[in-house]
Formats: sequence, C-alpha cells, structure tokens
Amino acid sequence: MSSSNACVSQYCNAGWGEVLSHMSPYGWANFGIAFGLGLSVVGAAWGIWLTGSSLVGAAVKAPRIRSKNLISVIFCEATAIYGVIMAIILSNKIKKPEDSAYELTQYWDFPGFYYAGYGMFSSGLSVGLTNVASGVSVGIAGSSCAIGDAQDPSLFVKILIVEIFASALGIFGIIVGIIQSNSCNFPIAALQ
Amino acid sequence: MSIQSAAADAGGLHTFNILHGFPEALVRGMRSSFLLDADYHHLTQCETLDDVKLNLSESDYSSALAELGALTPSTLQKAAVEKLVLEFKYLRSQAVEPMATFLDFITYEYMIENVMLLLKGTLAGRDINELIAQCHPLGLFRESTMRSIPTFESNAKGYADLYQTVLVDTPVGPYFAKFLQEASARSGGDSFGVIEEVEIEIIKSSLLKYWIEDFFSFSQKLGGETAELMEEILSVRADTNAINITLNSFGTPLNEPQMRMSERKALYPSVGYLYPAGTHKLHDVGDEEELGRVLYLFPQYSGIWGVHKSEGGGEKSIDDAFYERDVQMLELAFEGQMHFACFYAYVKLKEQEIRNLVWITECILQQQKDEINKFVPVFSMHSPWRSK
Repeated sequence: MSSSNACVSQYCNAGWGEVLSHMSPYGWANFGIAFGLGLSVVGAAWGIWLTGSSLVGAAVKAPRIRSKNLISVIFCEATAIYGVIMAIILSNKIKKPEDSAYELTQYWDFPGFYYAGYGMFSSGLSVGLTNVASGVSVGIAGSSCAIGDAQDPSLFVKILIVEIFASALGIFGIIVGIIQSNSCNFPIAALQ
Repeated sequence: MSIQSAAADAGGLHTFNILHGFPEALVRGMRSSFLLDADYHHLTQCETLDDVKLNLSESDYSSALAELGALTPSTLQKAAVEKLVLEFKYLRSQAVEPMATFLDFITYEYMIENVMLLLKGTLAGRDINELIAQCHPLGLFRESTMRSIPTFESNAKGYADLYQTVLVDTPVGPYFAKFLQEASARSGGDSFGVIEEVEIEIIKSSLLKYWIEDFFSFSQKLGGETAELMEEILSVRADTNAINITLNSFGTPLNEPQMRMSERKALYPSVGYLYPAGTHKLHDVGDEEELGRVLYLFPQYSGIWGVHKSEGGGEKSIDDAFYERDVQMLELAFEGQMHFACFYAYVKLKEQEIRNLVWITECILQQQKDEINKFVPVFSMHSPWRSK
C-alpha cells in the first residue's frame, strides 16, 4: 500500500503486522475469554436442542426412557462447564498494572505482555471451537440414542459409548487450552 | 404454485431436529405399535370374532376398540382408520414448514379419492350423506365444499364449472386444472367440448398422475436424504400405477389401437424407473404377452410379472407381489434418521396392517382358514427378505 494515499502521521500503522500488534494484549485476552465461554455455550445449547426434542418425542410412546436419557443432556452440559472453567482460569490471570501511569515505560516486559495476550486469546478459541463440535456431535448421537432406546432397551449403553467419545473432544480442547495459557502471566510492574 | 414455495431445506443431521425433532421422534415411537409376529399368530388361531377382539385389546388397538360393540370386518376397519387419522392429525398439528406441506401432500391422494367417490356416487344416484360417510377421513374438505360437488352435471361444461367454482380453492384444484388443460389440448383447444363422457377412472388416474409428479418435484426440492428416499418410493409407486393401468386396460375400450396413443398414453406418469423408455414401450402393448416382454427388460419388475404369470390365481396375485415389494421398501425408510420419508412410510405401512386385519377377520367370518395366511405382515422377522 505505498501510493500517495498512504498515511504519514506517526499514529498510522505501517502494515497489518502493526495493526495486530497495536491491539492491546488486554483486548486479545478478554476476547479470548469471550470466545471461549460464548462458543462453548453455543455448542452445549445446540446439542441440548438437538437431543432434547427427540427425547421428548420418543418418551411419548415409551415413557421408561425419560430418566436414563437425560445423561445425553448432561454430556452436552459438560461442554458448557469446560468453557466456564477455562473462562475463570483465564480471567484470574488478567491483572492491572500497579502503577497506573499513562504510558508504559521502556522497561516494561513487552515480550511477556504480548505472550500473555496472544496465549489467552488462542486458548479461548481452542476451547470454544472444540466445544462447538463436541456439543453438536453429542446432540446428534443423543437424539439417536433416545429413539433407539425407545425401540430396544439394549441399545442404550452401546450408543452411550459413542456419546462418550464425542464428549472427549471437549476434553481435548480444555487440556490444550490450559497448556497454552499456563505460562501466560500479565506483568504488573516494569522490570526495573 | 404456493405449495412449491414452501419447500425449504429440511436440514441436515445438525439442524433437522431443531424444527422437526419432536414429530420425527413421535412417529418413530409409533413404529413400535405395529402388530408383531406373535400377535398375527394369535389372531390367525382365533375361531370367532370375539376372540379377535380379545386379542386386539392387548395390542395398541385397545383404546380404539373399546367403544366398539360387536366386531365385524367393516367396523374394525373403520375404527383402525380412525386411529390412524387421529395419530396423523396429531403429527400434522405439531409440524412446521416444510414438514407441514409434506404431510399435506400425503393427504392429497385421499382427497382425490374422495372427490372421485362423490362424483361417481352422484352419477349412480346415491345419497350425499351416505357418500360423505364413506369418504376417507384423511382427505376431507370443508363440509360445504363436499356437499356442492354432486350438484354439478357430469358433462364437459359441468366439469369446467365444478373446477371454477368449487375445486379451485382446494389443494387438488391445480391437478384438476391441468387435467382440463391437457384434455382440451388433446381434443383441439375447446375447453368446454373436452370431456364428453370421460370415465371417472380415467380422471382419477390422471389426477393421481399429476399428484405423484407434484409430490416428486417437491421432495426433490427438499433435498438431502428425504429427496433420495422419496424418489425411490414414488418412482416405484408410479411404475406400479403404470403397470396396473396397462393390465386393467386389456379387454376395455382403452386398449384399442387408436385409444392407446391418445388416451392411455396420457395416463402414464412421467416419473419412475419405467419412464421414459419403458412407458414408451408400454404405449403399444396390446395383451399380456407383450406386457411380459416389456417388463422382462426391467429386472425389478420381471420378478413380479413372473408371480402373475406362474399360477394365474393360485398362490399370490400381482397385487400381493406389489404389496410385498412396497412393504420391503417402506420398512427401509425407517432405517435412517433426520428425513421425512418415515412419515409417508408410517401411513402406508399402517394401511397395510389394516388391510391385513380386515383380511384375517373376513377369513374367520367366512370360515376359510386355509386362505388366512395370505397377508403381508409389517416388520416381521419371518419376511422373505430377512431370511436371505
């Protein structure tokens, strides 16, 4: 973007790299928390939506399946809980600087600062996106489980194993998210 | 047509349940209400109709038969059909678009039958109330509409008037319009001089043909698994109609060479496995030998035709062979989830079960125990295709 339209003031960004690095790491981190929690809840709600309607319909003709098949709903709910756990861990790591000056000094731990911001954003995305997939998958499997159980009770445990594997996807997300955000610490004071 | 504009995507695996999860789970729960092999076994062992009623009161029919006094085949049929209609109306009340339009399509077939019943009945001079009582409950119009159908005359102008004043508002109106249009085009553009003395059966076959084609294009628009399954089911249905039209036309004026090209050709549906090559060959078929030769080219129908030829009124009739093939296919519609074909399959399989029950009770009533096993059970473990 070199042409005469390029902005020359000192406050302009010289390229996309500068755009991204000029976004505050606090912003990155908080958006990570929002995505992590929001997408996890979207996945869980979608899953409960899918499995709940089938459960209610199948229980009309076969009322015995009512209580057992609530396990599918609980598996979906678990993905939302993973999102909440991750959000709480991440939001405890965000700290305000002690010295509330207008500008950060040159001795501020900028590498650690940016590392913390990017790390928390990506760990939020890890958890959120895997939980969307896990929630939808558990929902579809749960719907088939309710309908199959209504016809033949011996199918319940076997299809439950499919659901367990589906909800393992959410666990992968939270494990990786915790590893990513483990050493992310926001600096609270300048180095010297 | 406003019907076609209701066709939205039914949703794949991940979105189907949002709108249609509850009715689909309902109909799958209703699948477990079909009579089992053991039930059929007990029924065929019954000596009197009271035994039949006792046996049926332990099945899903218990509430339907509770108010019934003495069981006869016709009262049993009426009660069973009422039960099916009640279940269907419940499903229909829970459905949203596009499932609602799909379920409506299933009822149009019965509407066509009812309109034809009313027209035919008035030609024979029967009382309107008796005719309305005989109409199939799934295909009822408003009372006023039904009462005004027999007031029209059975000639060209009468039919055109009937369409313009009464039938145009009903869902089967468009099919009637197409019929009038095509019939007038065939006889040269005069829409009133069209139908001199067209037989009721020909009108009915034409209306059914338009219905099948309309239903077919609607389910193609729905896409996904619904489109695949309904394509298969409706193609087979259209072919069954084509073969039956040809078979039933032997020995009637429809079979004369000049009538074959003009009248009979227009009755073959333009969907199905026999279309276009097979129906083109069927145009000129004049007797059963030629029909057999044409069907020999289509492997799935040569088997059924073999049944018709081999005994000639012995073990199975060609209708039984068609029913067996239909049951096999419709049972498969319940195998996959998240599609609409299971609703169509449920209605048709329930109808087959009602036919079975009427057959069994008729055999018991007439004391013809050796004929009693000639029915096609639904979801049976002993079906010929399951033991292979």
